[in-house]
Amino acid sequence: MPIDYLPILILVIVALLFAALALLVPALLGPRKPTAIKFSTYESGKIPFGTTGRRFPVKYYLTAVLFILFDIEVIFLYPWAVVFKALKLFGLIEMGVFVLILLVGYFYVWRKGALEWD
Amino acid sequence: MNISSLNLTAIAPQIIIIITALVVLLAELFTGRKSLLAYLSLLGIIVAAIASWYIWNGTEQRLFAVPMFQTMAVADGYSLFLNLVFLVTAALSVLASINYLVRERINHGEYYALLLLATGGMMLMGSATDLMTVFLALEILSISLYVLAGFNRADLKSGESALKYFLLGAFASGFLLYGIALIYGATGTTNLAAIVDFLKGTGPMRGTYLFIGLGLLLVGFSFKIALVPFHMWTPDVYEGAPTSVTAFMSVGAKAAGFAALGRLLLYAFPTLLGDWVWALAVLSVLTMTLGNLTALAQTNVKRMLAYSSIAHAGYILIGLIAANEAGMAGVLFYLLAYAFMNVGAFAVVIAVGREGEPNLELSDYAGLGSRQPLLAAAMAVFMFSLAGVPPLAGFFGKLYIFSAAVQAGFVALAIIGVLNSVVSAFFYLRVIVYMYMQKPIVEARPVLAPPLALAIALAVLGTIGLGLLPTPFLTLAQQSIAMLFGA
Amino acid sequence: MNQLGFPLLSLIIFLPLCGAVVTLFLRKEAVIKWWALIVTVANFFLSLPLYFYFQSGTAEMQFVERIPWMLSLGVSYHLGIDGISLFLVLLTTFLIPVAVLSSWTYITEKVKEYMILMLLMETSMVGVFAALDLILFYVFWEATLIPMYFLIGIWGGERRIYAAVKFFLYTLAGSALMLVAIFVLYFMNAQATGRPTFDLLELQKFSVPLAAQTWLFLAFALGFAIKVPLFPFHTWLPDAHVEAPTAGSVILAGVLLKMGAYGFIRFCLPLFPAAFAYFVPLMSILAIIGIIYGSLVAFSQSDVKSLVAYSSVAHLGFVVLGIFALNAQGLSGGILQMVNHGLSTGALFLLVGMLYERRHTRLIDEFGGLWKQLPLFGIFLLIVTLSSIGLPGLNGFIGEFTILVGTFQANWIYAALAATGIVLGAWYMLTMLRRVMHGPLDKPANRQLQDLSAREIVVLVPVVIFIFLIGLFPNLFFGKMESSVDTLLSQTRATISMGEPNP
Repeated sequence: MPIDYLPILILVIVALLFAALALLVPALLGPRKPTAIKFSTYESGKIPFGTTGRRFPVKYYLTAVLFILFDIEVIFLYPWAVVFKALKLFGLIEMGVFVLILLVGYFYVWRKGALEWD
Repeated sequence: MNISSLNLTAIAPQIIIIITALVVLLAELFTGRKSLLAYLSLLGIIVAAIASWYIWNGTEQRLFAVPMFQTMAVADGYSLFLNLVFLVTAALSVLASINYLVRERINHGEYYALLLLATGGMMLMGSATDLMTVFLALEILSISLYVLAGFNRADLKSGESALKYFLLGAFASGFLLYGIALIYGATGTTNLAAIVDFLKGTGPMRGTYLFIGLGLLLVGFSFKIALVPFHMWTPDVYEGAPTSVTAFMSVGAKAAGFAALGRLLLYAFPTLLGDWVWALAVLSVLTMTLGNLTALAQTNVKRMLAYSSIAHAGYILIGLIAANEAGMAGVLFYLLAYAFMNVGAFAVVIAVGREGEPNLELSDYAGLGSRQPLLAAAMAVFMFSLAGVPPLAGFFGKLYIFSAAVQAGFVALAIIGVLNSVVSAFFYLRVIVYMYMQKPIVEARPVLAPPLALAIALAVLGTIGLGLLPTPFLTLAQQSIAMLFGA
Repeated sequence: MNQLGFPLLSLIIFLPLCGAVVTLFLRKEAVIKWWALIVTVANFFLSLPLYFYFQSGTAEMQFVERIPWMLSLGVSYHLGIDGISLFLVLLTTFLIPVAVLSSWTYITEKVKEYMILMLLMETSMVGVFAALDLILFYVFWEATLIPMYFLIGIWGGERRIYAAVKFFLYTLAGSALMLVAIFVLYFMNAQATGRPTFDLLELQKFSVPLAAQTWLFLAFALGFAIKVPLFPFHTWLPDAHVEAPTAGSVILAGVLLKMGAYGFIRFCLPLFPAAFAYFVPLMSILAIIGIIYGSLVAFSQSDVKSLVAYSSVAHLGFVVLGIFALNAQGLSGGILQMVNHGLSTGALFLLVGMLYERRHTRLIDEFGGLWKQLPLFGIFLLIVTLSSIGLPGLNGFIGEFTILVGTFQANWIYAALAATGIVLGAWYMLTMLRRVMHGPLDKPANRQLQDLSAREIVVLVPVVIFIFLIGLFPNLFFGKMESSVDTLLSQTRATISMGEPNP
């Protein structure tokens, strides 16, 4: 029934209100003393240099993809762990097959040198 | 639950193909000789074919269905016949690729692994009896093909091809998934057998969700099998992709789409087919007509074959619309015939091409009849067969499909179909005109590598064989579809 | 029935095919030529028993062979001939060796491919005339297209590609609708009788509902009319003829065009008798237009070969007129005239080809006074011309006369109009003969010409023998076709007079 979702709606409204208040109240009450340094780009406390559109090694991208890939696969281990007792040996074999396929991929990535930085 | 309940024997061909793909992927790391991978792939394909044959013969009656993975998929005559189509396509494509990859400097081992994975996906599409399996198989197939389409990394066109294919493919998957969701919403299940039961229970009453869901499903499939007006991606993708990949996907992906669509429409939603039959008929007419008319204007042979493959999807769709046993058997027969003649035609394109394939224009085929008589003769056989001239495989494919349409009362559709065949004859003939009736512009004699020659020879054999002795294959196709209608 | 107990028809059909396969492995051109000639001549002799063992007293199919082919669909490999197809089979096996021999020096390039195509041509054409199953017929019918397409397209003249493609597409377009009509007929019969079959003899027993007959007739007739060709579907013919090599023209005129007329008799008449009768006026008028138009256009041609090509349009008009007279004289005259036209026009094309080989032109104005230079050639041209315009004592007269008698019985106006065609035919043919052969020998190039060689005489003599044979002893031919024609007509009349056939 839609009425069951009422608490969630209330929660959403409260969250929105809180966020809005948190932005609004300091803007109204807080003191403002702008300086040049305050308006400069924040970059880990350093003095900023160069433009934002800088090229960076594609290796970052590769690493990120590989991370997401294996990370997502690992997620499957969690639901499996929950029902592991019910599945018994069958579950173990199934997960073995799954991990094996994953390992083939991992081995491939490894041998291809995708894990080496240089 | 235990392992035997999964019925792994029934899914053995698919498993063999996937394992071969993984083995090929690993073997690539240890060997410098890439052709070894090709032969390894061929071995896997042959073993899978033997396994399919074994399953077909292994049961007591021939008309059977072995459910597997808790009715997520099935091994029945339909899926086994389609295995044959996919394995033939894959084997011919692998043979045609070996020297092509070397020539184009894209001889990376992943090629064969991806091709096998795609084949596995296709085979799973043929046996899927659950909408989730259909979707899963489609994604295995499509993602492998996205990569294959862009396999020639140095070539901008190949990259463009992959990107277009990926974007529109993802878009189509979206439609498909939305359709599946709506059908699930309406019936409470994604299993085809359960859907059949549900529809029996509701009687003539049909939900709006179901109607829209099936419509979205059709749109998704229309993208995948490139029906006009959902075909816009096809020519660019087919032209840009490496030719061996084009050969593979123009047949395999299309056949896989029809495989799943056939099972869905005729097995799960036969009552709903009536709602959509006119939409399908319009799609079919548009597809045939536009495919052929645009092919008329092409001077690039590869692009011409791309448009012609759109038109062929239109013919095959007629068999589905007829929705009778003759029509579906015709579809299966046509797909097998199409596998031989179309992969064969692309194999000839590979044989004629030089590195970078700057020479795919019709004029590059001028005088091929005197430069390389056997190659030209093979191309002539494929062209005549694609045009539907007897006594070749393509003719009998069309014969069965059109006769089924007449039987089901779609006489107009059959007439439009044959008229389209006439139009198509024009551009197929043009290739022959250039090969035999024009003076050669270059004297270069294309060199045929043995594996490629073998692929072309097998394709010729299939094209002529299916034409002269269609009966055994037609009987096989008729037995195969019994389960779709028997249930 | 098969009085021989032996698949003779299959042998005649597939001997050339086997010959073609063997040719693939031959290398020397001379060997290939001789091999092709031996195979085709052997095939002709093989086909002679068809005539001698043919039983005239019956309308049944003879030399029948029947093997199931695609069982589940009801397609069978069913061959057989009767008095109607007998002479067309013989004409085919007779003309092919003539055509092969006539190409001896004309074809200098790709001899192997050429001979293979000639042999394939023979297989498919005999198949067309012997097939008694609609699908088998259709397969052979379409299969004739491929070799002819190559013959025109590879060895043809200047505009060969245009002509070849036009020929192919016209014929394919015509037969496409026929295929659909075959399916419709098949399913109507299957629904009514419960026995799905493409067998012609079975389907003849099924009377098609009247409304459907019209459409089915039109679909079949379109394919046949294009092939004949009937005015206004004739435009592909002059192009194809003019561009084709000599042997191609001979086969085209001699046999391929007959396939259309044969189709009307074999399929349209027994399957859709009511529609056939209904369309008699339309078809007759188109045939008459073809006769007159073909003659007039032939007269205005400056090229000998296109003159002969247009004369074909006129002659085939006679054939169609005879068939649609719907009586015994008209029909048997039409059948005989098909053979006559195959012989005379075939011979005309041979002679034109011989002239072209010598002089490399076909323009009438380039000749004149050739009689002095080429007396032998002149004699043959004279005989063939006279045969073509229907001089009594030669074959053309018998055919045209019988057709006119038949047409006169059916409708005297048609006969009167068609008779003008004979006059026109004599006019343009004799004019051509006069301008080419008579007058002063004033072109210097013509003084160098050599008269016929022994080979060329061997090509022409058999044709001329048959021209006289038919002209003097027509009953050798009419006798064999009589009962088939009579039975066909009486069956047809019975069906028509029954009025509305069973639903």
